[in-house]
Amino acid sequence: MRAQRIAAMRDGCRAVSPGLLALTVWGVVTGVAMVKSGLAEHTAVVMSLLVYAGSAQLTSLPLIMAGAPLWLIFAAGTVVNLRFIIFGAALHPYFKNMRWPKRLLMGYLSVDVAFVVFMPRFSDAPQKGTLEQHWFYLGALVSSWTVWQVTSIAGIALGSFVPSTWSLDFAAILALIAMMMPLVSNKPILVAILAAGVVAWLTQMWPLRLGLIAAVLAGSAAGMWAEKVFRKGRV
Amino acid sequence: MLIEDWYVYAAILLLALCSVITRAGYFLFGHLVPLPDRVRSALRYAPLAALTAIIVPEVLPWSAQHGPVLDLKLVAAIVSIWVFQRTRSALLLIVSGMLALWLMRWIASF
Repeated sequence: MRAQRIAAMRDGCRAVSPGLLALTVWGVVTGVAMVKSGLAEHTAVVMSLLVYAGSAQLTSLPLIMAGAPLWLIFAAGTVVNLRFIIFGAALHPYFKNMRWPKRLLMGYLSVDVAFVVFMPRFSDAPQKGTLEQHWFYLGALVSSWTVWQVTSIAGIALGSFVPSTWSLDFAAILALIAMMMPLVSNKPILVAILAAGVVAWLTQMWPLRLGLIAAVLAGSAAGMWAEKVFRKGRV
Repeated sequence: MLIEDWYVYAAILLLALCSVITRAGYFLFGHLVPLPDRVRSALRYAPLAALTAIIVPEVLPWSAQHGPVLDLKLVAAIVSIWVFQRTRSALLLIVSGMLALWLMRWIASF
């Protein structure tokens, strides 16, 4: 039993290893960006350890620096993290037989790279919720967490040595673009991005970056509208 | 701008709460809440719209006095997207965007 668990965990680590390279780049960039945006080093470390979500962290930085209201920061973080709800819904059948503290921990540690290696491997599994699946996923999660925290803290340390004139905070914006690019896979998504972009550009002088809410609403509405139009017209 | 400690830590705690709710929510309560296909498709657009709304003011800023401004960051972002289209590499996107920005600033400094 014990050997099987260790083998499954090792499989999980091995499967996720290509994704760890991406996590390394992201971790360093996020670490540097947190410090370059103006967070104190110890604050940045706390953020990395507790939040453990690169896109939400990078999204929140301009908002925090602008002194945006806390509810808007919470709302923006939630919206950027919405993809995890979809992941969670897909993963739920595999973990529903665990006790709740373990489900809470496995859920909280879930990240994109682990999800991406888990689903193709077990989507056709005849039985869901096996020990092999649990330990495979845990292996992927633990190695992702470790790599992220180490590289992120390395980035925080590095960030304090790099002069601000290098504008390394721009790397955070580029990282967000890098995250979006593979997701732009069809026309409705492109329409949603264009609509959100135009609204975000026009509303950026609104106080407290409240234009963000307008842009999210406009983008989502435009995306769903375009989905309907393109499906009907087969454009 | 001076940001106060309590504000930053409150933001961090709220963001940690975001991580727990969005990631562990379904693990904990999935048996109670089915996710209909329509909601699922709506959830696809909101995150991309939010990311766009964070990126746009950084590359296409408005100044309080002069209105819209053309920033070199916009050109750098376009270069980086072009590089990604050719290479499909996130790392090269980030590297090329930074190099483009530094190069243009260096040229503009003459």
